[in-house]
Amino acid sequence: MCFTIENLLLVVPVPRGYMGKILRVNLTTKSLKVEPTSEEVARKYLGGKGYAVYLLYKYLKEYEKAGISPKDIDALGPENVLIFATGPGTGVPGFPSSGRYHVMALKSPLTGSIGSANSGGEFGPFLKFSGFDAVVIEGASETPVYLAVVNGEAELRDARGLWGKNVFDTCRILRDKVGGKNTSVACIGPAGENLAYMACIVNDEHRAAGRTGLGAVMGSKKLKAIVVSGEEKVPVAEPKKFAEVSKRCLDAMKNNAVTGVGLPTYGTAILINIINTAGGLPYKNWQTGVNPDAEKISGETLAEKYLTSRRSCWGCPIGCGRVTSVKSGPFQVLASEGPEYESIWALGSSTAVKDLDAVVKANHYCDEFGLDPISMGSTIAAAMELNEREYIPQEDLQGLDLRFGNAAALVEAVWRTAYKAGFGKYLALGSKKLCEIYGHPELSMSVKGLEMPAYDSRAIKGIGLNYATANRGGCHVTGYTVSPEVLGIPEKIDPLKAEGKAKWVKIFQDFTCVVNSTVNCLFTTFALGVKDYAELLSAVTGWELTEDEILKIGERIYNLERVIINKFGFDGKDDTLPRRLLEEPMPEGPAKGQVTELEKMKEEYYKLRGWVNGIPTREKLAELEIEL
Amino acid sequence: MVSVKIMLFATLRSKYKTRELVVNCDGTLPNMIENASKILGQEFVDDVYDKKQGKVREDMIIMVNGRNIKDLEGEITLKDNDVIAIFPPLAGG
Repeated sequence: MCFTIENLLLVVPVPRGYMGKILRVNLTTKSLKVEPTSEEVARKYLGGKGYAVYLLYKYLKEYEKAGISPKDIDALGPENVLIFATGPGTGVPGFPSSGRYHVMALKSPLTGSIGSANSGGEFGPFLKFSGFDAVVIEGASETPVYLAVVNGEAELRDARGLWGKNVFDTCRILRDKVGGKNTSVACIGPAGENLAYMACIVNDEHRAAGRTGLGAVMGSKKLKAIVVSGEEKVPVAEPKKFAEVSKRCLDAMKNNAVTGVGLPTYGTAILINIINTAGGLPYKNWQTGVNPDAEKISGETLAEKYLTSRRSCWGCPIGCGRVTSVKSGPFQVLASEGPEYESIWALGSSTAVKDLDAVVKANHYCDEFGLDPISMGSTIAAAMELNEREYIPQEDLQGLDLRFGNAAALVEAVWRTAYKAGFGKYLALGSKKLCEIYGHPELSMSVKGLEMPAYDSRAIKGIGLNYATANRGGCHVTGYTVSPEVLGIPEKIDPLKAEGKAKWVKIFQDFTCVVNSTVNCLFTTFALGVKDYAELLSAVTGWELTEDEILKIGERIYNLERVIINKFGFDGKDDTLPRRLLEEPMPEGPAKGQVTELEKMKEEYYKLRGWVNGIPTREKLAELEIEL
Repeated sequence: MVSVKIMLFATLRSKYKTRELVVNCDGTLPNMIENASKILGQEFVDDVYDKKQGKVREDMIIMVNGRNIKDLEGEITLKDNDVIAIFPPLAGG
């Protein structure tokens, strides 16, 4: 079985920074088509997330024209659309930390909102080197297939022999099979095949487009993997100017204490102690923000006892990736990567598991089976609280001893979720549906169905507003205000004050859209600002972008994404937080007695955004030149 | 005099091979740092204190009982058993 591209010849001029081609694959009809990357669209939406949001909106309009309501789109049906997209920065040598790509789906099976996730490693640049800016997946195959994109050619191939294999084996087998230089595999593991709602897409063994269940979308389409390979180069508009800007930015990153020392030395896990000290490290499914055992699962402990080496994504001078091992014992892992801060928190702190061996093992299983460790750990933590409050019938648990702190049960629960074995079939639904099934939706610590990450908004107020208003649901990297609130970057603001947070949330959300559409790493923003991005992108594309234009592009992307989720039925009522964060005062620590004053912050935020009840006004959309 | 606990993190912990120490001081941050340096070594002062500016280094994250000193209003007066956490510039996400 082999299907190849229908039309490869294109005569449209290629915009600089882009490969000029988008591959559109229909898995139902097995057709592969190439269309030009539009400079007009790229100028308004860059690439990556922005370009994908634009394309998804076009699909929605087509569906509406055909009489299909956006609300009726099944996230796991053939009508869902999945897009792997790079941007003008991706794969450009010297563009700081540009080894990333963005994945989007019209709808997430976990949330019912838009699907969105971002990943590093090598897949993004190698997709560009294969000759394409993006791959759009439509329809669904009846039997397992994988997509091979090699040096400008593409074909669908039989993947029946790969179905059932884990992520590590799939990556290895396909990389060996395709061979060549610059070869990378993005795939799903058993969790995606079995349609676990928090299944993710993993590339290069340990790098994942983790959030919103995009692995299940791939699984529903019977698309096991995409393998990319190639040696094409990304055209740069002004190489000399770019070399100057690049050097200045790379020097800034090297000389920055965070990107030059902190992240390379300790990785992201170094946050465990500081967030816990600030009283914002959620513990036992967010019952408090102080973990008495934080030191045992900290970045310092990880570096001291587990770290064997570092791993950088393509073109990244930071190298925050951790190569780790658990040398002996029941949770032995011979070689792994991570866990990151978020994974340690979700699998360790939220579950009150203080055995870092078990957390490393559980994280390794998440990579091996293809699960988002944030949603996985959070869902297990929710199940632990449900169980301790005796809300789960014991016959449903089938002997799985889900109590806070039970390291063995944590590890057992992860693989059971991937295979939907025993109680795993309930865990695979995610915390929102799990808690609804057992009659206590308030115990799901999620927003719009997406489990929130590792910062308690009673101790860090701005991040609460960001969680509530993030289009994809409870997400920190939509607008990472933890940076000014706790880390003091670019300036220090008080985490316990709600006043003035709306403007920070808005600008972080808009700028992050630019980063995710460039596509490069958010960690660059600890050292680089909007001006640096404007100069880097201008030199690559030749467009002479100003700082204001850059932020307007980000705001445009965020608003069009909001228009899409409005069509799914999400509005101001969904821009909220779990009751625990709004009504239960923090019981201890520096934020003792605090709740999240969301309504006050949200009112200011909507005003700044030009939204009414979570919906952009016509005037705002016109101002942003968004054509509906 | 008051007795306070100082906790070191990240590169400071590895450099001074110390996780925590107890020091006596007059309740001011400069005196606390000075007295800590008598245990950790004079270099500790340079690591956390800007002598030219006469204040704690701008890039250091110093928290008293979980609150960043930059968020605290007025003169900081340390009390008995206060916990002072000192972090070098760091980030993640």
